[in-house]
Amino acid sequence: MCASISQELQMLDSMAKEFAESELVPGREDFDEFPFKPLFDGALKKASEVGFFSLMLPEDVGGANRSMKALCTVLRETCRADASLGGVIFTNALAQEVMINAGASEMIPNPEEAGGDPQKALLAFAPFDNPVETKNRARAKAVDGEYFLDGGMEYVMLGGLADRVLVPAVMEGQKDISFFLVEAGLPEVRVSEPVISLGLHACPAVDIKFREAPATLVGEEGKGGDYLGQAADRLSVACASMSSGIMLGSFVTALDYARERMQGGRLILDWSQMRMSLADIAIKIKCADLIVDAAGTSVDEAEEGWQHASRAAALHICPIACDVANEGIQLLGGNGYMHEYGQEKRFRDAQTVQSLLGMLPMRKLAYLNMVLEAEKY
Amino acid sequence: MSATAMKGTKDFLKRDPKPGVTLCSLIAGKRLPNAMIRETKQAIAMARKFNEEVVEPRALELDLKKMEDPDYLPWDLVEEANRRGFFTHFEPKIFGGKGVNLPAMSYFCEELASKCVGIANVVAVHYLGVATLVATWNIRLINELMRDAAEGERLGEPRIMSMAITEPAVGTDVCETKLLNKSDAAFRIDKVDGGYLVNGMKHFISNGHFSKWQIVFGYEDLSKPAESVVILAIKSGTKGFSLGRQERKMGQKACPASELLFDDCFVPDEYVCYSPDQARKLRCPLIESNQQLVDYLSTASRPGVASFATGVARGAYEVALEFARDTEVGGKQLIDHEWAQMQLAEMYTNVVMARLTYQEGNYANGLYGMFKMLQAKPIFYATKYTPKPILDIFMSPILNMPLSTWMFRTLNYDLWKKEHQCIADGYTSIAKVGATDLGLKNCQLALQLMGQAGLRHDCKAEKHLRDSKLLQIYEGPNEINKLIIFKSMISNLVPNTTMFDE
Repeated sequence: MCASISQELQMLDSMAKEFAESELVPGREDFDEFPFKPLFDGALKKASEVGFFSLMLPEDVGGANRSMKALCTVLRETCRADASLGGVIFTNALAQEVMINAGASEMIPNPEEAGGDPQKALLAFAPFDNPVETKNRARAKAVDGEYFLDGGMEYVMLGGLADRVLVPAVMEGQKDISFFLVEAGLPEVRVSEPVISLGLHACPAVDIKFREAPATLVGEEGKGGDYLGQAADRLSVACASMSSGIMLGSFVTALDYARERMQGGRLILDWSQMRMSLADIAIKIKCADLIVDAAGTSVDEAEEGWQHASRAAALHICPIACDVANEGIQLLGGNGYMHEYGQEKRFRDAQTVQSLLGMLPMRKLAYLNMVLEAEKY
Repeated sequence: MSATAMKGTKDFLKRDPKPGVTLCSLIAGKRLPNAMIRETKQAIAMARKFNEEVVEPRALELDLKKMEDPDYLPWDLVEEANRRGFFTHFEPKIFGGKGVNLPAMSYFCEELASKCVGIANVVAVHYLGVATLVATWNIRLINELMRDAAEGERLGEPRIMSMAITEPAVGTDVCETKLLNKSDAAFRIDKVDGGYLVNGMKHFISNGHFSKWQIVFGYEDLSKPAESVVILAIKSGTKGFSLGRQERKMGQKACPASELLFDDCFVPDEYVCYSPDQARKLRCPLIESNQQLVDYLSTASRPGVASFATGVARGAYEVALEFARDTEVGGKQLIDHEWAQMQLAEMYTNVVMARLTYQEGNYANGLYGMFKMLQAKPIFYATKYTPKPILDIFMSPILNMPLSTWMFRTLNYDLWKKEHQCIADGYTSIAKVGATDLGLKNCQLALQLMGQAGLRHDCKAEKHLRDSKLLQIYEGPNEINKLIIFKSMISNLVPNTTMFDE
């Protein structure tokens, strides 16, 4: 890595840490209670202002044109504190990436024009679904050169928040998906109450139904699978960095607890099994960081097989993060299961992040297909 | 077989692991009364009816309600369980209960937990209070409090029990006297004229807000808590006793985890379940009888947690199966993918493996633990077929005599063989660790199989996952249970092993 990039990432890392400490940590437990408590509007606005929602956007559409490693750095530090904001950043980045792949950068909300307003700056999208694998619920038709959507879309992250939704739909008479941009506030677009889910609570999700909803085609008809696949290739490593951040948060909390909590007359840190568990976690985090760093570099430098590196990083690290977050609760005993300590949230968030970009087993099979196609082994 | 060959056989059978350890189910099977099978089937049917009529319509809605209002208490569930007789169903008939065999409760709990572990806990954790009381072998109080539960059932007023042992600074330590004596125990119970004065806080007390009776552990001497254990039955409304907050748990939300606050709370002598003065009358040293008490209680309760875990493993499997049947992925039904079939088979296997652990734990208890007496055929059939009024009229006064307590304590403390204690302890801890790990594993597998649907509250799998995690923690975290497995099943094979003292 050249010195200037390294320095840039270090500055971004410090900035993200500072942001997380001041904007996320103090209110984390309250934020997690959405929709029963208000959304963290203040944190979202500040995240928008500091550019977290436009990190990788090209400069000509108001973005910072940063690297994948820059995105990974921000995601790791935000997810260490509160993965919900990581979910917001990731969902938005994924939608943006799909649109960039479609050659539709100019349709992406311009952050400068949004003026720090998350509602205007963000794109809603369904990052847990792989519409190529599952039965698509949204249908599109063209009438006199204009497009209209029917059907629905489930578990749309940022759906109740962002003004615009990126929708995968199948055109009449076609098999492959296309992408469309839809205004969420239209009367033909019905947005449900917030979906209650396992984790990433403050990254609000809704179900959406369309009835003859006017939509704008993104890219070309029937090419949606390609756009999404390319986006998933790049952003898989970002999922891995989110998991890495959750693991780190879980470890630090467990370590702090072990330094204070007594058992059998001594600090629990002084019992060898506790040390063994903490060692296991620390090793997993170190390995995850090394993998994310290598995969991020591979993506940024478009090394041969970078797609494999990115996808394998997520497929390997996300399930490990689930185990680490589980152990993170266990190390705190009953307290770990309680809201106040943050560990149970990390457990829920890790499981949720694992499902980003589609069902884990199907993604594994897709990875093997990539390997077979490339005949790399 | 010749005498020489037999001699050789005996020698081989003296080696570890001994048949007494490995053949629990085989030995227990022939000794068990046949009527237990019919009772167990009835208990399963009863649970399924409750699931269909109460649990399934309410589980998700109640979970959401508690997210919105963490202080909400689903009293209607407790009242419905009381109306259906669940709180006396598994209590011995001589104490006013319905006398259904205790292993049947595991199957009953599995059924309830397959739909909602939280609601299963609301129903079953009363029996943790019961098991604690029974572990003191204070027969007069066992008789009084169990009959009070029966009276509450008759009157439509739930009179259930909770066990209160955990303190903010003392969790795992309570499982082992060596840890407890070095702990920061702060819950004081001071002897005063005519009773005890109680001061301190208990937390994480399941059903605390619902219970009429709290079976509370405390210590006369905080510098030697393991040698000064006092157990009291404290009635709700007693002066100086109040309920604090409910904990904000990740799952099992239907069942409150309560704070209990005691401020100069006076408890008269008649509600002392167990005290150092009483324990000194036993032959075994005080610290040993205190450990035995905790072991008795744990051996009874841990198969219950394992049955919850079996239930949640099953619930996750059933939800995943339904999803796989109804969902198209990659152009065909998910259930037609070979990998999905293998994953569902793994989940099914996990359910069966988890169930086997609690069954084996129950066999061990039936042979060597708390269930031993009740499952002896003569006692089982005598109590089963003796009309209840006769038991009430003739047995109850006898049970209230100090002689009864002395007799039961002698049998259960002084005459409890160490090797038997180890087998019961070991198998029930194995059940707790093994089943709860499998329960969580199945929930994780369900989420992987279901993708985004697995994350949604309305699809049930995520609730199973949240509920399952607590099973690895309560009734002694799995880590202390692993040490108990080492202590009871392994350490005796390696003389001079030291434990809890690194």
